[in-house]
Amino acid sequence: MNATGVSFDVARELRAICGEEHVAEIEKTSVVAVSPASADEVVAIVRLANQHGFSIAPDGGRNDSYPPSKADVHLRMHRFAEVEHYDPADLTVGVGAGTTVAQLNALVADGRLMFGCDPAFPELSTIGGVLAAAKHGPLRQAFGGVRDFCIGVRFVTGDGRKAKGGGRVVKNVAGYDLMKLLIGSYGTLAVITSASFKLFPAPRQTRTFLAEFKTWQEALRLRDQVVRSPLSPMCMEIVSPLARKMMRPEMTDDAWVICICGAGSDAVLARYRKELGSAITRELEDEDERHMWTVLEQFPFGQTAEVPDAYRTSSVFAPPAQLSETLRILQELSNPACIGRVGLGHLLIAAPANDEQGVWSLDSLKHRLPISVQVVSNWSELDSMPSMRAVKQALDPNNVLRGRELF
Amino acid sequence: MGSQRNSALSDQLRAIAGRDYVLDRPEDLMLYEYDGGVRTHRPDVVVFPQNTEQVSQIVKLAAKVQIPIVPRGAGTGLSGGAIPTEGGILIAFSRMNRILEIDADNMRAVVQPGVVNQILSDSVAHLGLYFAPDPSSQKACTIGGNVAENSGGPHTLMYGVTVNHVTGLEVVLPDGEIVHFGGKAAESAGYDLTGFFVGSEGTLGIVTAATVKLLRRPERVATLLGIFETIDDGARTVSAITAEGITPAALEMMDGWTLQTVEAFCHAGYPLDAGAVLLIELDGLAEAVEEEAEQVRKVCFEQHAREVRRAKDDNERTLLWKGRKNAFGALGRVSPSFYTQDGVVPRTKIPAVLEFIEGVSKKYGLRIGNIFHAGDGNLHPLIMFDARDPEQLHRTEQAGEEILQYCIDAGGSITGEHGVGLEKRNLMSHLFSNDDLDVMLSLRNAFNSQSLLNPGKVFPTSRTCVETRGPALNPILVQEGM
Repeated sequence: MNATGVSFDVARELRAICGEEHVAEIEKTSVVAVSPASADEVVAIVRLANQHGFSIAPDGGRNDSYPPSKADVHLRMHRFAEVEHYDPADLTVGVGAGTTVAQLNALVADGRLMFGCDPAFPELSTIGGVLAAAKHGPLRQAFGGVRDFCIGVRFVTGDGRKAKGGGRVVKNVAGYDLMKLLIGSYGTLAVITSASFKLFPAPRQTRTFLAEFKTWQEALRLRDQVVRSPLSPMCMEIVSPLARKMMRPEMTDDAWVICICGAGSDAVLARYRKELGSAITRELEDEDERHMWTVLEQFPFGQTAEVPDAYRTSSVFAPPAQLSETLRILQELSNPACIGRVGLGHLLIAAPANDEQGVWSLDSLKHRLPISVQVVSNWSELDSMPSMRAVKQALDPNNVLRGRELF
Repeated sequence: MGSQRNSALSDQLRAIAGRDYVLDRPEDLMLYEYDGGVRTHRPDVVVFPQNTEQVSQIVKLAAKVQIPIVPRGAGTGLSGGAIPTEGGILIAFSRMNRILEIDADNMRAVVQPGVVNQILSDSVAHLGLYFAPDPSSQKACTIGGNVAENSGGPHTLMYGVTVNHVTGLEVVLPDGEIVHFGGKAAESAGYDLTGFFVGSEGTLGIVTAATVKLLRRPERVATLLGIFETIDDGARTVSAITAEGITPAALEMMDGWTLQTVEAFCHAGYPLDAGAVLLIELDGLAEAVEEEAEQVRKVCFEQHAREVRRAKDDNERTLLWKGRKNAFGALGRVSPSFYTQDGVVPRTKIPAVLEFIEGVSKKYGLRIGNIFHAGDGNLHPLIMFDARDPEQLHRTEQAGEEILQYCIDAGGSITGEHGVGLEKRNLMSHLFSNDDLDVMLSLRNAFNSQSLLNPGKVFPTSRTCVETRGPALNPILVQEGM
């Protein structure tokens, strides 16, 4: 059945679980999309998959251009949009996995709070997707990754067990930290149905300081200066000349840009100006500032939420001091467009898809870059693979969950 | 274990770790039968490996002869995590106490598990760096223990607990294999096994090296002491500060009785007639700290603070913290024993839980002091008792359980930073369903299916569910009588 997709009988059984209107066959494929509304329905679907041998890829169900998975069934989680708890005075919230980041931010804005992760396209990005892919945006500089502020998770394992890890309080070490295991597992271990988070006070005001440089070496010197200073910016990004041209076609000069977002009172912002000094070439506020960060978050997708055909993306994390070596090697390869959380050693590379030499393949990157640099999307040849297999075997022994082909 | 077998095992361990690094005489083993909790059990033998390879050989030997292994740092844990409940081999990490690398440019250190928490911070102080997790026992506790229990401390309110500061691990798995997870980068490819192993209480593998983050020392620190007539006013101030959008680096609370006891020991300058104090620390950019200090002072007075003091210099700051960090020792002067709880409630529930604790104190006729991380709702009720009286111990445990059940009912947890260990394992089934525990147990069995590694920890053995050993993938938790 796997070779030909989901049989009619299975589709019929999925309809029996979720209702006629929540099962659809995807045009020109043999894939079935099903939209469950409860964890019990997910349990029933996953058990059915174990019984009949079909594979499942969970997704947020909000983005039709989501790269199609090879799985037989797409589990669309958009109906999991309920608020489980919202405790503004405790700075915590728990929502269904299908809630979008935009919806979550709208919910907590009244309490002058914010969600600590700013992925591209917040109106399409769901909480389940953010967790499964360990997504992050520029705010990672201030708040860390979702692993640092997800305090609880509910899920259904690949063998159909409904369970939870963590809870609703900001400090909790009872039991294994299942949040860590599921975050970044790309839906290969369990289907996340809801999650709880620590929230952060929203800043009363921010300013963004831009500094332009002729070379990446000069740009990194400013990064080093900021890291060694008492400043603690909310965001600190590097933008390569090509990336800037992709985002702002009217910008034609070859400049590397460091974008620093500071938050705080007038006195705090004055301190930023003093510390950054003559390096600042522009200061943005209000609509200009919001627009700049939105465009940057969307790189390299542009307005469409689709990866331009001409590019393929790779995400790398270097120990921060090894970022200069990483940039040097990337420049030698072919001067790709890239941006990244420069304070943390992160780069998002948009390389030409027309890559006949395979220079930009994940394996090639892994072998060219220093050994301490992590090409996060490349899971081949990992030393930890036997342990990863043991974990996969414990939660999804029949390899039903294929949010990503790993094993 | 038979004495002959014991002796043969000791000889094999001596062959691995060296003649002088194995203890098996009863008078020596007595020193390793306890930790900071209230339960005890003696190991059959204690071994002091010097390196990862020796740990691997010891683990392989234990697997071969099917003897349990318990790793131990400094034994300061408060949940019985290092108690060898089934005897066997206790691996003490006091010889593996080297800082392997300090990488100031990347703000990372690579350390062996026996490195003492405070020594790590002291060793990087000249670089303007420090290691953020700061348990009260930081002068003695080890990084290995911090990693195993996912330890916290006062300053984890702003900076996070141990797991937020570990980016890589070297681990010896229960079959003796040495594996590496993560590295120095902020994120690694593959499942986050580093994050998963931190806090697994030595039940998945034995950590033999950890790559940890170092933070830059803040430019300005303001340490305030808010003095309140009633504990209720102090408790309400905690959520009032948070509501102002301020996240202090630390926000600690002590009740009036605890203050008097601590002051008699530490002479920190605490008021003797207050109902409660809040120790509030703000750090960061000078401009931001000064503004927040003023806001905090205002909030304290709005919540009826009698006085708000600010440490004038480092000496005064150190003195205020000395009182807080040595409080447990001070309480040891007034009671033969005390039992420390580690419950967590949403911080808005602090006034209610403190009232409940007062009721429990009266109900069981036991003095309970309160000194805790108020900012994140992490309570440490200290129940005074005499361990020589079994009836008092029983009452103490009952009182502790009642408090933790209240925390669970309030939407909280049974442990915020001490770990489940031995002492709270039977409360796990109050917090988690059988299915939840079944998933955790299948993960444990994926690595440690024979439960030779730190047996009897984390998972319940009580009426509702029992822990059994078995291969991965079997439903492991069974109802009694099934």
